[in-house]
Amino acid sequence: MNKLVRMIVVLTVIGLISGGILALVYNLSLPKIIANQEAETKAAIFKVLPETKSYKKIISGDLAYFDCFADNGEKIGTAILCQGNGYQGVIKLLVGVNADFSRFTGMTVLEQLETPGLGAKIATQDFESQFKQLATKPPIEYVKNMKPEKDNQIEAITGATISSRAVVNIINKTVEKLLELK
Amino acid sequence: MSYLISHAPHIREQRTVPDLMKAVMLALLPATIAGVIFFGLQALALIIVCTLTAVITEIVCLKLMKSTVPVNGGGAAITGLLLALCLPPSFPVIFAIIGSIFAIVIGKQLFGGLGYNIFNPALVGRAFLAAAFPVHMTTWVMPFAYRGVEAISSATPLAAMKFSQQSTSSLSLLFGNVGGCIGETSALLLLLGGIYLLWKKVINWQIPVSYLGTVAVFGGVFWLVNPAQFPSPIFQLLAGGLMLGAWFMLTDLVTSPITKKGLWIFGVGAGLLVVIIRLFSGLPEGVMYSILIMNAVVPLINRYTRPRILGQKK
Amino acid sequence: MKKNLFYEFTKGLWNESPTFRQLLGMCPTLAVTTSVINGFSMGMATSFVLICSSTIISFIRKLIPNQVRIASYIVIIAAFVTVADLFLKGNFPAVSKALGPFIPLIVVNCVILGRAEAFAAKNNPLLSFADALGMGLGFTLALTMLGTIREILGSGTIFGFLTFEPWVVMILPGGAFITLGLLIGLINFLKQKANKPEVHAACEVK
Repeated sequence: MNKLVRMIVVLTVIGLISGGILALVYNLSLPKIIANQEAETKAAIFKVLPETKSYKKIISGDLAYFDCFADNGEKIGTAILCQGNGYQGVIKLLVGVNADFSRFTGMTVLEQLETPGLGAKIATQDFESQFKQLATKPPIEYVKNMKPEKDNQIEAITGATISSRAVVNIINKTVEKLLELK
Repeated sequence: MSYLISHAPHIREQRTVPDLMKAVMLALLPATIAGVIFFGLQALALIIVCTLTAVITEIVCLKLMKSTVPVNGGGAAITGLLLALCLPPSFPVIFAIIGSIFAIVIGKQLFGGLGYNIFNPALVGRAFLAAAFPVHMTTWVMPFAYRGVEAISSATPLAAMKFSQQSTSSLSLLFGNVGGCIGETSALLLLLGGIYLLWKKVINWQIPVSYLGTVAVFGGVFWLVNPAQFPSPIFQLLAGGLMLGAWFMLTDLVTSPITKKGLWIFGVGAGLLVVIIRLFSGLPEGVMYSILIMNAVVPLINRYTRPRILGQKK
Repeated sequence: MKKNLFYEFTKGLWNESPTFRQLLGMCPTLAVTTSVINGFSMGMATSFVLICSSTIISFIRKLIPNQVRIASYIVIIAAFVTVADLFLKGNFPAVSKALGPFIPLIVVNCVILGRAEAFAAKNNPLLSFADALGMGLGFTLALTMLGTIREILGSGTIFGFLTFEPWVVMILPGGAFITLGLLIGLINFLKQKANKPEVHAACEVK
């Protein structure tokens, strides 16, 4: 009996002390973690809508987007969070569209698990910048081994058609949903 | 010669390992020459460099390990040649050297050298190159592009099928007038080499028959269900590296099972894998991985198809 | 058994290196060593948990009843892992993102529970500290080595300079196995040569 009590007491004390330390550390680091996340969001939004000075997060249904405002309070566009399946895992993107929803202003990859050296190139400047000034309608198309000719086309990455196609599909789907909503 | 290991008594085989290797080389010759004609000097350079590198690496390895195995470059030469034949014609020579060294050192010598390797060394080299230089390994040129001013890049028939639903005529596939690896474009010449090997009894007929048969039947089932989406069995058989794999790689004596029943399981398993990979994965071609995966299960196949000892009950 | 502080410290660095000699903690070793910085950070985070938990466990080793010792060790280890995780998230968000789930997974790293069970539970805090420090540094050293080789070959960069076309396979899982296998082979070879030349002949018989 004595042994049993000792077992319970020792484990409880260890658990309590560990829990206490964790609570302390958690409270100390929480503000920093939140600040980091916010800085990250801000940097991403600034990448797709460079003139943004302030933004407001809006969640409707399964869509999440940021309405972005310039210095003078005028709405300059929307940054939309998009996600979907890539070649190996979930791809998360942020795309910017201008105020009247006619053109994309930019795209940045937030998270991806594509093959390094191939599909992972969707997160490079070369690929992301192709989405700048792209028309939102008709939906984006991708072409292979040639320069884009129309203003709704991008060039797929050589050897990574699947990842390129995934990005295009994810964006098209999300933007379509958002347009229906508006 | 059916190279089956079974109970005594054994008949002594007159032919030696070098003899077998010479036969394989000879059988590969038509496809090799065709590759050079189709793809020009770059292909020739790749073939020579790969073969030479493989032989030199083998000799250096054996010397370094102070091996008692007599130095014979034949096996390494075949490995090097096969590796070159399954590379894209525009592949950089310097990387082909790396692949060749990798094939011999990691694929063959680290497992114990001649007769001990689990995986087909040429395919180990190719798998390494495919993972290391994915862009170069998926850049293709059309045959006779070297005559033109600039190299025209193209998709392989399988990739065209998979990504753009374009079929290629069987005649082109048969004679090799398509984009692809140096030695895999002409199904006819590979078939010729394979039949020569069968005639010379260097390879077991069970493996190519079960492998090709499974691809045709299993691929055919899908084609019958939905001809619009899936390619015909004829296309499945002629396109890509299937012929090269079926006659020259899957049949490698070292990396295939030793019992007759095992040979059938081996061929059918690899055939199923090819069709599954080609139709349902992200890759257009599945011959390489089908062979490597089946190589890995050969010890299991051998264990479960071991013939019953005479007089012993099950 | 030698109860020598210096001996306990140095054994983890080479002779009993957790990665190359004991083959423990393979999961982070193979998964995160895609670059020097990732390998090094993983090693440091693990060392931190290892040193803290080993020392504490050694302090209270006589209080813990035998039957619940593993549970107690895990609670202590998990607490330190969470501390490390929060610290990285707060101060080094980029590193934390790169290492992802492998920081929380330090809990199940067998190097840590292995040292707690095999060493800290039987030795005094000072020795346990030396042991954990050695093992931690050995682990960090190994991961940094792997990270260096894989970054040079797989990304084609040496401290940021692009030198040649990278071999993508080296930053894929396959490259981790190839690099680790070759390194262990090399170290075994060196050891054999240094210690017992007569073993060489026996080894050739497979």
